[in-house]
Amino acid sequence: MQDTIVEKVLKHPKYAELVQRRTRVSMAFFAVALVIYSGFILTLAYMPEVFAQPLGPDWTMSVGVLTGILVVFSAVIMISLYVYFSNKIFDPLLDAIVRDVE
Amino acid sequence: MKKFLLNTALLSMIAQPAFAATGQANTSAIVMFLVFIAGTMVITWWAARKTQTTSDFYTAGGGITGFQNGLAIAGDYISAASFLGIAGMVYVSGFDGIIYAIGFLFGWPVVMFLVAERLRNLGRFNFADVTAFRLEQTPMRILAASASLLIIALYLIAQMVGAGKLIVLLFGLEYKIAVVIIGTLMMIYVFFGGMTATTWVQIIKAVLMLAGGTLLAALVLMAFNWNPDAMLAEAVKVHPSGAELMAPGAAVSSNPLNALSLGLALAFGTAGLPHILMRFFTVSSAKEARKSVIWASSFIGYFYLLTFIIGFGAIALLVRHPEFYNNLDLSAGSNNMLTALIGGTNMAAVHLSNAVGGSLLLGFLAAVTFATIVAVVAGLALAGAAAIAHDLYANVIARGRSTEKQEMRISKISTLVLGVLAVLLGIVFEDQNVAFMVGLAFAIAASANFPVLVLSISWRGCTTRGATIGGFLGLTFATLWVVLSKTVWVDVFGNAEPISPFPNPGIFSIPLAFFSIWFFSVTDKSARAVKERDAFTALTVRSQTGIGRSGAQDH
Repeated sequence: MQDTIVEKVLKHPKYAELVQRRTRVSMAFFAVALVIYSGFILTLAYMPEVFAQPLGPDWTMSVGVLTGILVVFSAVIMISLYVYFSNKIFDPLLDAIVRDVE
Repeated sequence: MKKFLLNTALLSMIAQPAFAATGQANTSAIVMFLVFIAGTMVITWWAARKTQTTSDFYTAGGGITGFQNGLAIAGDYISAASFLGIAGMVYVSGFDGIIYAIGFLFGWPVVMFLVAERLRNLGRFNFADVTAFRLEQTPMRILAASASLLIIALYLIAQMVGAGKLIVLLFGLEYKIAVVIIGTLMMIYVFFGGMTATTWVQIIKAVLMLAGGTLLAALVLMAFNWNPDAMLAEAVKVHPSGAELMAPGAAVSSNPLNALSLGLALAFGTAGLPHILMRFFTVSSAKEARKSVIWASSFIGYFYLLTFIIGFGAIALLVRHPEFYNNLDLSAGSNNMLTALIGGTNMAAVHLSNAVGGSLLLGFLAAVTFATIVAVVAGLALAGAAAIAHDLYANVIARGRSTEKQEMRISKISTLVLGVLAVLLGIVFEDQNVAFMVGLAFAIAASANFPVLVLSISWRGCTTRGATIGGFLGLTFATLWVVLSKTVWVDVFGNAEPISPFPNPGIFSIPLAFFSIWFFSVTDKSARAVKERDAFTALTVRSQTGIGRSGAQDH
């Protein structure tokens, strides 16, 4: 029983497309997240003077504090984009497969 | 004056061992706390009638929506440690507090892009279901349960000790009584209401915490005419570190590897924390799991931004209130505003609420903070009960031959045992430096659970032998490293010199775990390994589509 469902899914023309595209998208997002995060950590660890500079002559807020806030936003934005992709691209593919197989 | 070491920073996230004074009872705090308890008891009574099966007990029958689950996860995250600890760290060293917040937050993209949906499609009650999906039950369950129980114990100690100290200060209770109250409440929620009660307590608390934090941050910004930079300027003016407040501390740059290592453990630890992963099984589908992450990360990110405002606001505003300090001395070169704060720097946010909102806001935040700890402890106990009853008892000892009723009984007994254990640990470790425990919990989660979980679901070549050896190596290495580091070897055991060069193991233990899983998998030529690699196709079909998932929903 179980095997036949698995085989049916495997034979479905949209399955390979789903796996391939989804893997590519999530890996790309993961890579971007890693770059942003490690960029932040590496900068504060090895180039703290970059983060220490104030934003401008009349500012107290430093580059580091602003970057930190932007990094917080970036995490939420990346996750939102991923959800958007999933809803728009992957869910229709997935629904088609589930409909055909079950 | 930035002597604040990153590695000891976690200390201030929980409680400092010696709080200055026993506090006086705050009437509004006690009233609000009692109202909260009464409300949660009603919820527990309601949830108890719905909690019949193991699926109800562990995962609330899969009937939680993505939004609700997102709030509950945020509730687990917006713990007293995050709120008081990060605000306290910002109060002490400014920018360095932000580093922790970002580390905790970046666990979420990792969870989302690598595990969340597949986890939901593959598992039933906890993440061990996922690692044991195509690998052999017994070793995978034992590995998952050992790492999970260790993480839970460390977390429990940190929460109990932190909470106990907090209550001593806020409610004027004795420490032991405080710890017993938390343990008892937690046992009632979990024992009778299972995951349904635990989740709803967490949701309500998260909403209250978000509302309270928003109000506090708004009142702070209002005091500076809604200009955050004016607030920062004032903070820099009065803080002993001055402009350095805006930059990474000397401790970070003097040991960049340690900072890096900590950063790794924080970001990858989340995807290995058993009580967080367990929440993904309370929703009905992978789509809802995805929604949980977006809500959770939005609320957590928002709350951390509030915490930054609260922390910097505390620097700028608290010095105007000498009554919050033991003999405040603001002369140049004195760092007395950091050392003389009543109750320690963890109390910065609490004092701030009193300063800008009066005793009503103070009482509200104190009650919510206490509720937070009870809720987080309940979630931990539930994950612990799942590890004991579902992994060790049902699948290892009884080898899947136990009935649901038996498993349920064992999990309820486990809850009681864990509750008593939490109280005892809280009392035993009362005066211990609990800093290393949270750090170690994240390091173990990132070095044992995370690599095993990720490789077992995304790499065809992963075998039982590789996962078991790699997982245990990561677990052992991370634990030994922390034990031999300054935080334990010197500060706890009293040796002169640490053996590990710096306290955070992540930068070595995480790659070690990944490498050894790979190495011991590719060299595994057994028949079992061949079968496991073949089973990867079926796993992928299930993880990608959710077809064939044993439904946890009961509706």
